[in-house]
Amino acid sequence: MSAPTVAAAPAAPQFDERRQQEAAASLGLWVFLATELMFFGPLFFGYAYGRSHFPQAFAAASRHTDVVLGSINTALLLTSSVTMACAAAARGHDARRAAAWLLWATAALGACFLALKGVEYAHDWRDRLFPGVRFAFGDAHAGGAEIFFFLYFATTALHALHLTIGIVVVCLFALALRRRATEFASAERIELAGLYWHFVDLIWIFLYPILYLVGRSGG
Amino acid sequence: MSMQSQMKRYALVWLALMALLATTLGSAYLKLGIWNGIVNLVIAVAKAALVAVFFMHFARARAMVRLCAGIALFALALLFAIGGSDYATRAIHAAPWQSPQQLQSTTVGG
Repeated sequence: MSAPTVAAAPAAPQFDERRQQEAAASLGLWVFLATELMFFGPLFFGYAYGRSHFPQAFAAASRHTDVVLGSINTALLLTSSVTMACAAAARGHDARRAAAWLLWATAALGACFLALKGVEYAHDWRDRLFPGVRFAFGDAHAGGAEIFFFLYFATTALHALHLTIGIVVVCLFALALRRRATEFASAERIELAGLYWHFVDLIWIFLYPILYLVGRSGG
Repeated sequence: MSMQSQMKRYALVWLALMALLATTLGSAYLKLGIWNGIVNLVIAVAKAALVAVFFMHFARARAMVRLCAGIALFALALLFAIGGSDYATRAIHAAPWQSPQQLQSTTVGG
């Protein structure tokens, strides 16, 4: 297998060399991810507030989420991060066909996640767990539980939106590789798409235990 | 590093991630009291570290990238510390215009 070809390609006019361009691009994406963390951060803070002020209500509400679907989705998303990392590695080594297939696999795993999330939302809606006038929660913790489900829907929907954007980006690169648009689907761009994908995965890694696993032991 | 050895390493990371997922799910059903939450959080941090180090290549990231990620985490810590100290030191009092139903979450729901 040949060595990475990144350094050999010509740089855009505003850069001295390709390495500088690559450094600028990756820093730019990390700055974007930093702003994304500020976007999700307040929701996590809201959760921390609710969990510390209404601990029993949050535990009772968390037991009403679907832990099976949530765990399957976590496994799907973690696996998709692995295929994404493999796709970036394959593209870096100029194995374009393998990279394209791995990108399709990544997008497919992401789509499966969204489909399962949709099933879960349908169950939540049927069980009247969506906050609002229809919300029904059978015991004394209804008030705190509604706050939990407000945060549940806000965080998972925001995450799903980010994942949808990620799937579109990954599909674009996979299509470009199939059409041999190697300039568009360059190794460094796929690496950057991977950074975004892994960030979305990171958010879910923290959402999973705080939404699905609280109060499962009943103690 | 050759592509094959890189992918082999990613496969090992995947196994580690799945093992951590199984551990966090299993531990949630054990009666550990306050430790349930702590174990879950520690495992989430371990999973995030695996993703950041191996997939996002954070270990060999440039100083500017590390600074950028560090500042973001620091800003988030500020949000939690300053915002949290406000909420932690205030008692919730019922406002006179709130109906008993609205108050349920603040009085009984805790």
